[in-house]
Amino acid sequence: MNFPFVKEAVNSLFKKPSTERYPFVKKEAPLGYRGRILFKSDKCIGCGMCIRVCAPGAITKSTKKTDDGEEITMNFFMGRCTFCQMCADFCPRGAIELTNEFSMITEDKSNLNVSGTFIKKLPPKQQAGSQTISKQV
Amino acid sequence: MFKKIIEKSFEKSPWLFHINAGSCNACDIEFVATLTPRYDAERFGFKLTGTPRHADIIVVSGPVTEQSKDRVIRTIAQVPNPKVIVALGSCPASGNIFAGSYSVLHTLDYYVPVDVYVPGCSPKPEAIIDGLYKAVEILKNKRRDNK
Repeated sequence: MNFPFVKEAVNSLFKKPSTERYPFVKKEAPLGYRGRILFKSDKCIGCGMCIRVCAPGAITKSTKKTDDGEEITMNFFMGRCTFCQMCADFCPRGAIELTNEFSMITEDKSNLNVSGTFIKKLPPKQQAGSQTISKQV
Repeated sequence: MFKKIIEKSFEKSPWLFHINAGSCNACDIEFVATLTPRYDAERFGFKLTGTPRHADIIVVSGPVTEQSKDRVIRTIAQVPNPKVIVALGSCPASGNIFAGSYSVLHTLDYYVPVDVYVPGCSPKPEAIIDGLYKAVEILKNKRRDNK
């Protein structure tokens, strides 16, 4: 008679269960995990490259005119995100980062918006009298 | 007294029903992984049923396509009240990359009230456990309100 798995079965009897006790023991996402987006609005220049590469179209940009420039709001809707990291890879200023926060449970969809606002200053207006640029040419 | 025991045991063993509304299978695999021994959602009494009539929590994955729309509504209508609907993944919340397709017109909350969103593409099994945990709390509150 040959019992093929007796050794394995006896060994497993005295082992700890392989179940991860998740909600009681907190777990870190592995290195390089692509979770909730962190948007650094102070680094953004509003070039719109992230909008261009976003496949599902989760990123929206809205502009508002203010006195000293344009007020640009970038909105990342996590309910539509594929977490592909294309926006972060293509961002020329590194303003987008995908954190390792994986649990984004909500009852309300509007909690899934990650947005940031910054003011893009307009180039300084030239005064009527001084034509320094044209003289140099 | 028996009623109290029954009430308590109801809260401790919510049964799940999983609907695939045109999902790409990634969320379905992760959802099945949460029920396997590694993540073991059955510790909390979750049990996958084959029929909507026994279910308390409905887990919907995938953008609701035109083909599956009627079936989703009909299946959810068969679930006895109180019920909790969990939208698994980004797709039911917004359509994700399928949004704008000829077969995906509306999101899930256009058809049925969604209680919990589990965003992610696809969500980690830990995130799904968190979502189901929240769903149980909502189910408890709904039961108490019904009384």
